[in-house]
Amino acid sequence: MKKTGFLYDERYLYHDTGSYHPETSERLPAIYQGIKDGGLLEKVKLLKAKSADLKWINTIHSRDYVRRFEEVCLCGNSCLDSTDNQMCTETFEIAFLAVGGILDAARRVMEGELDNVFCAVRPPGHHAEHAEAMGFCYFNNVAICAKYLQIEFGIKRVGIIDFDVHHGNATQHSFESDPTVFYYSIHEHPSFAFPGTGREFDQGVGEGTGFTKNSLALPGHGDREYKQLIQKDLIPAFEKFKPEMILISTGFDGHEDDDMSGIRLSTDWYTWIMEIIMDMGEKYCKGRLISILEGGYCIERLPELARNHIKVLLGEK
Amino acid sequence: MFVSQSMTKKLITATGETDILEVGKIMKDNKVRHIPVVDDANILLGMVTDRDIRSAMPSVASEDFDSKEERDKLSELKVKDIMTTDLVTVSPLYTLQDVLLLFQRHHFGALPVVDDKRVLKGIISIRDLLRAFISVMGIGEPGALLCIVAEHKVGQMKKIVDIITAENISMGSILVARHWEEGKRAIFPYLLTHNLVRVKKKLQESGYELLDPMNWHLEQLPKNE
Repeated sequence: MKKTGFLYDERYLYHDTGSYHPETSERLPAIYQGIKDGGLLEKVKLLKAKSADLKWINTIHSRDYVRRFEEVCLCGNSCLDSTDNQMCTETFEIAFLAVGGILDAARRVMEGELDNVFCAVRPPGHHAEHAEAMGFCYFNNVAICAKYLQIEFGIKRVGIIDFDVHHGNATQHSFESDPTVFYYSIHEHPSFAFPGTGREFDQGVGEGTGFTKNSLALPGHGDREYKQLIQKDLIPAFEKFKPEMILISTGFDGHEDDDMSGIRLSTDWYTWIMEIIMDMGEKYCKGRLISILEGGYCIERLPELARNHIKVLLGEK
Repeated sequence: MFVSQSMTKKLITATGETDILEVGKIMKDNKVRHIPVVDDANILLGMVTDRDIRSAMPSVASEDFDSKEERDKLSELKVKDIMTTDLVTVSPLYTLQDVLLLFQRHHFGALPVVDDKRVLKGIISIRDLLRAFISVMGIGEPGALLCIVAEHKVGQMKKIVDIITAENISMGSILVARHWEEGKRAIFPYLLTHNLVRVKKKLQESGYELLDPMNWHLEQLPKNE
């Protein structure tokens, strides 16, 4: 059995997005309960959040943006940059706890205390740009984690796999010129879905050309098309890149019961993809994986999806 | 939506006396394919394109294409010898729709923009038009597309816009397919939001049909418009 960490902190629930917002605090207790009901809490190491050092946030986000976020938040404004990004006065602090919790988990993986970890954090991150909040995201958790691994632990090649149903525009932008980070995303076609980026022809910029890959699925597509795309695009790309570390932007919002997209993935697909990633982790990264929660809004399905996710990380599936 | 707002104003021009080899180099260095030819008062005389230059070159299939005589002949050729003088021009006050229709009619890649005294003001290319329409459609900004089927009667669009604005959602653009099916039209608002769940519900509660995007495929669009 693997040494698996599970980052969960009730302070993440204090990020209040108001009524009728899909990115609600109910998502995390649903995930926690699913893992608890599966009898898995005893098998994982439960991690609590720590606040991040500003210097790590600044590896991705401008100082001006962080100051603006703080100011807007503490003034009691209900959103930042777009009405999508609903928040409360605690949001700024919670966003630091999300990043800090992930970096602490990453350190434990690097120091061998854990093999892998699932970070059930809020707010999510992959839409948050250098100087702009977007799509419910304020700090780009996964991008900051990649920078942290490179700077603090000298990791030379980081592979990011983003299977949230929406393209991680900001993660792509953060690393599109960087040949040391391979960003792979599989998502609903951007002509139909938010944020309208992540085209097939985006393959990186300058020195980073060839280190970005987007696989697109049309609305109505499901397991069969997603499996074909993973086999055709992700597996050969990572075989060539050979990441020393794999980070996962885990989004459960492509599930057929999740109304945030037109993609119709089954519960089993989410197990399948994690098994594929676990195999890649064994092959390239000594089994080290860091999974970071992005989207996934169907409260009824999250418990089972999270439970299966942890089971695969533990090596039980 | 006027040409003056979307045209390229930073111009690279040639005179009639410029050597064609030099113009070819200017095109290559500046990555342009159309160069307006002007006189000292910036009055438009003609246009020279990369295709004009290629046509002026000897065929590589001919045996003497790289001979001294051919090279001498080429070095004597001036822009005025090969430029197009029978030009279609547009005014800065033309609309982008005018230009779109002109491009469709004439298969040009770029058009010179002149005032009523034929003084060159700019050049507008298909690339400039694309940029303008991407901006108008709002698709350079993050958002998502909806497809709403509504009855073809007065007031439907207002109701839809009211529902969207009541949700505090900004619109990138709205496209309308006027003849979707008998008595109905399809409305495609591009909404600048990640959060479509509630607005979709409100639209459905108001009696609008939301289409599965897979039904938008071109072959399923009505053919008798």
